[in-house]
Amino acid sequence: MSRPGLVLEVDERTPPVLVHEGEGFRLERFPLGTRVVYPPDPLPGIRDVEAAIRDALLNPLGSEPLPELLYPGMRLTIVFDDLSIPLPPMQAPDIRQRIIEQVLEMAAAKGIDDVELIAANSLHRRMTAAEIKHIVGERVFASFWPERLRNHDAEDPDDMMLLGRTKHGEHVEINRRAAESDLLVYVNVNLVAMSGGSKSVAVGLASYRSLRHHHNVDTLRHSRSFNDPEHSAMHHSYDRMHELLIKHVRVFTIETTMNNETFPAQFSFLNKREWEWSLRDQGAFLAAKGANELAPAKVRRRIWQGVRAPYRPTGVHAGATTEVHPHTLANIHRQQLTEVHGQSDVLLFGLPYICPYNVNSVMNPILVFSLGLGYYFNMYRGAPLVREGGVLIMYHPMPVEFHPVHHPSYIDFYEEVLAQTTDQATIESKFEEQYATDPWYIHLYRSSHAYHGVHPFYMWYWGAHAMEHLGDVICVGANRRAAARLGMRAASTLADALEMASDTVGHSPSISYLHSPPLTLADVR
Amino acid sequence: MSRLGYGRVLLTGSTGFLGQAVLERLLADHPETEIVLLVRGRPGVSAAERLRRLLAKPVFGRWRNRVGEQRAEQVARDRISVIEADISRTVPELPAGLTSVIHCASVVSFDPPVDEAFRTNLAGTVNLYEGIRRSVAGDGGDGGDGGAGGAGGAGGAGSGHNAGPHLVHVSTAYVAGSRGGIVPEEPLDHTADWRTELDWALAARETVERDSRRPEVLDRARREALADHRKAGPQAVAAATEGRRRDMVTERLVEYGRARARSLGWPDVYTLTKALGERAAEEIADASPLSVVRPAIVESALRRPYPGWIDGFKMADPVILAYGRGMLRYLAAVPDGAIDIVPVDLVVSALLAVATAPPEPGRPAYYHVGSGARNPLTVQRLYELVRGYFEEHPLPDADGRGVIRVPDLDFLSGHRADRGLRTAERAMGVAERVLLSLPANDRTQDWQRGLHRQRTQLDVLRRYSDLYGAYVQAEVVYSDDNTLGLHRSLTKRERERSGFDTAVIDWPHYLQQVHCPGITASLRRIAGPRPAGGRPGAPALPERRDVAAVFDLEGTVVASNVVEGYLWLRLLDASPQEWPRALASLARSLPRYLLAERRDRGEFLRAFLDRYEGANEAELRALARERLAGTVLRRAWPQAVRRIRQHRAAGHRTVLLTGAIDLFVEPLHALFDEVVASQLRVVDGCCTGQLERPPLVGEARAAWLREWSRAESLDLAGSWAYGDHYSDRPVLEMVGHPVAVNPDGLLFRHAKQRRWSIERWEGDVLGLAATLAEAQAAEARP
Repeated sequence: MSRPGLVLEVDERTPPVLVHEGEGFRLERFPLGTRVVYPPDPLPGIRDVEAAIRDALLNPLGSEPLPELLYPGMRLTIVFDDLSIPLPPMQAPDIRQRIIEQVLEMAAAKGIDDVELIAANSLHRRMTAAEIKHIVGERVFASFWPERLRNHDAEDPDDMMLLGRTKHGEHVEINRRAAESDLLVYVNVNLVAMSGGSKSVAVGLASYRSLRHHHNVDTLRHSRSFNDPEHSAMHHSYDRMHELLIKHVRVFTIETTMNNETFPAQFSFLNKREWEWSLRDQGAFLAAKGANELAPAKVRRRIWQGVRAPYRPTGVHAGATTEVHPHTLANIHRQQLTEVHGQSDVLLFGLPYICPYNVNSVMNPILVFSLGLGYYFNMYRGAPLVREGGVLIMYHPMPVEFHPVHHPSYIDFYEEVLAQTTDQATIESKFEEQYATDPWYIHLYRSSHAYHGVHPFYMWYWGAHAMEHLGDVICVGANRRAAARLGMRAASTLADALEMASDTVGHSPSISYLHSPPLTLADVR
Repeated sequence: MSRLGYGRVLLTGSTGFLGQAVLERLLADHPETEIVLLVRGRPGVSAAERLRRLLAKPVFGRWRNRVGEQRAEQVARDRISVIEADISRTVPELPAGLTSVIHCASVVSFDPPVDEAFRTNLAGTVNLYEGIRRSVAGDGGDGGDGGAGGAGGAGGAGSGHNAGPHLVHVSTAYVAGSRGGIVPEEPLDHTADWRTELDWALAARETVERDSRRPEVLDRARREALADHRKAGPQAVAAATEGRRRDMVTERLVEYGRARARSLGWPDVYTLTKALGERAAEEIADASPLSVVRPAIVESALRRPYPGWIDGFKMADPVILAYGRGMLRYLAAVPDGAIDIVPVDLVVSALLAVATAPPEPGRPAYYHVGSGARNPLTVQRLYELVRGYFEEHPLPDADGRGVIRVPDLDFLSGHRADRGLRTAERAMGVAERVLLSLPANDRTQDWQRGLHRQRTQLDVLRRYSDLYGAYVQAEVVYSDDNTLGLHRSLTKRERERSGFDTAVIDWPHYLQQVHCPGITASLRRIAGPRPAGGRPGAPALPERRDVAAVFDLEGTVVASNVVEGYLWLRLLDASPQEWPRALASLARSLPRYLLAERRDRGEFLRAFLDRYEGANEAELRALARERLAGTVLRRAWPQAVRRIRQHRAAGHRTVLLTGAIDLFVEPLHALFDEVVASQLRVVDGCCTGQLERPPLVGEARAAWLREWSRAESLDLAGSWAYGDHYSDRPVLEMVGHPVAVNPDGLLFRHAKQRRWSIERWEGDVLGLAATLAEAQAAEARP
């Protein structure tokens, strides 16, 4: 039994605490009384993963066993989560590979010929062959690429199909091949409580027309938090869409959860609580920090982007989506949930080098914004860790860097849209349509490896709830120009940031520090 | 009624600084006087149109406001007549009945080519007065009653029975040349013969032109032009050669003038010709009353038409402005030397007062109008006052980084200044040559920017050191007894309204409240603070369907060149184990390519394309499509892509004009309406290593653009072109909005000279090695 999560109150004996800041990290001494919120220790992984998968497929929840759903001459489509999860990408073999191989074996045993694999990359960039190969494994890749293993293309009018509209008038439009299949097998990796469930097919295979019903400012302002599906307007929309689409296509969902062994051996100290660091951990910290700071920027990026997580599966569940997902959520909570009593005036966290949209890429300022005010701020259940009108202080150098191939519309969003306004509602009404339908961005999304033109808008909306809730946002160590462009303020040190925050929360605010990654979901009572 | 009364005044030089002010005063203060303007005809512009433009100038603003626009038009029609004539070349036909002639026309430069100086200042004067003599002779008895009565004077046709109009000849105090001490108001004492000097000066051009066409000279000019402009193509070289020859002719003629002036005891050809002009006037105008008015340095108005009025920058102003912009640290001048400045309205008042007081014909009167005699201003005092002004009202920095703090000024003796300048100029020349020979990158461009600033400063110094040496070093006083006497003869009311006693000038007030604000006003407008928020960026592009935006590819849209393009194709195709071989093969040929590139871009392309010989075309295309697309986009400047898209959004036709082969261009095709690229010649599916057609480089691209824009009826003057290399110059020159993007040294210099926009596009584009490494890593990543 691993230890549960922990809230540590900083006192005189507390050692400095680790804070991530992009492609680097530091040890910070927080003010006395600061609450440091740690996640539970890593759960033990499943010993025999292959057996667990087989068991899930043969004894599904709310469904016949998978082999009974398979028959010769049927049209089978296997859809899998793209490279945005898990983070960092997991060490080979990827859990999706293991599942897909078993599903394909069962299909082969039934003599099914018409099988296709589609990555559920929605409006994310097309993955490269190498990236897909990493997910599905050498064997599957060799047999199916490129004709029967491909990226989803939300802008291919011939390959999209409108299934109808929900009772709220939401368009449900998904990949045609998937919609017209006799069985859709969805292979999921669930890293946070936001993912999986109804979201998988309704978002992963959708188009802009469909996504705009839940990826918008109003919905996100009413998703509190979007990691708590029960209280998330966004998830309510997913559920309505899912309800509609399973009337058209049979979906067999396989969901998996991972423990939180996020960093490999050389960075293992990042997985531990500071006061428990061994001499070896301390040495590793010093060596890693020294080497990291000495390395040229490009080498540093290669090293970080090369990190592969030694995650171990904690659960595999299959069957009807609505039956499966509660088990998945329970597993996630077991691994991530830490109980916290009451909100504080100031919330602190350090942003790491990676978010779902810069795998093998560059973390640009807009992604920093969405990681901080979107993902991290929303890592709560119940109430936000920071009170309404409180101050968020985050750590990230926020360089003005973009990946021109992966994020072309981000560059223009930064230069043209944010230069005019940071107000989400204005941005949504004035610019979204134009970016979403821009032929050049569509061209790049379809033929290059670019995120869709509308994607930076979603990243911006991701912070809608936080921006409404917070009194001030300060980023320690950030590039001043970038921070100002995003509507934040930059501070050189935590002391300066607290000084700046004192206008809003006074001189002795209560402070919480969300110690993450490994991911921590605060259960605020 | 004014003293000029119902007379008829002929005015020359009315478009000049002094002439405008005289005209304004005539219109405003002398409502009965008829005005005849003598202007040089300009093809395509009617005399009436010229007058309309002239009267729209700021100097007439107050008068127009006072009388009202309609009345002003009416007055202009009724009172002003315009005669078109080029008096520097011909004797003009003049109307009868002139009562006065105010001759303000003069060359504006101190150091013009010798023939121009003589033509305008001397031949112009001679022809004008000759024309007047003829008109008086032709008048018979019906006119000529406006001047001082009585005959007299000796010799000259038309004299005897009829005195001509009163000639008010505007000269300059500096005709005294290198004389020191007190200069009296009397004829100049010299023996130079103006006819001889005029003949030689006019003949000088022919000599110099002939010399400039000698083969040795032309060859040298061509060699120099080639060294600088080879990359821009043969037409540019020819143009540059001819430009060089013309410059040499001009320089030589300037030297002729300077040397002749100095040999006769004048500081420059301007003062020499003004001095000879006085002598010519004295001789020709023997039948007319002649008054010679010699102002000192004429500067902005003290009161009229309004305080601080000035037209363009006058003699002292560039120095003052250069100082205010922090560009002047040394001045070749004696601090206690006097600088004789006089506001333009006092000069006008004096001129018009002189016009009403004609002397007897044959006995010219002389008037000095300056401040040196009774209200002297030393260089040191001027410096202190100007410095005080700029300390209180500093100029804004052009980059919007606050205000400029004026430096301490060191006064150098002429000799020391000259030596220092010479050393600096030599160093600058060397630095420029070195920089141009280095490959262009951010650092060299920074250096070049710095060098350009230094060069501007140095040029400022050199120009002023050459020019003002004589004016601010001579310890000389121009006595102004005659002028003062005339001033005192005015009624009290006239003295108040249009007196010209320079003793009334309060220098701190004049310099700090009137003059400096006047001359810095335009600078402050231009360099005013930029609107807050957002970067200045490019202004919004106007929506038009009939214009184009032409882009070069390599270095402009994509950070790359042909060598890299080849490398990509070969290396992306090869496994990393084969890279060393591909690189080594390229390295062996590299010197040849670089040599070819220095000579001619077309030659370079051809030398390079050999490498594609034998490549399978279909494979090459597949490779380019699959592997190159990401790499090309990875190397494209985000600003370039955005700008292209902005042009498209504004309805402009976007054109990619490149010598590169179309394979590389494919990923960008969607951005352009028109792509002109080279095509590899393919026989039986294999590349031959040659092109289908000659590559479009240098001037061929300009020719293509001309043809294409004609066929598509596009307006090139409203169009844009973007280039990075000097070979893009012919294309850039064809459009109204040329933009140099990350320019190489030569293009940078050219763009600076032509005031083209220079933009720096940068972004997270990877270096070549890193791009390849990334491409490989993406392939290899687990």
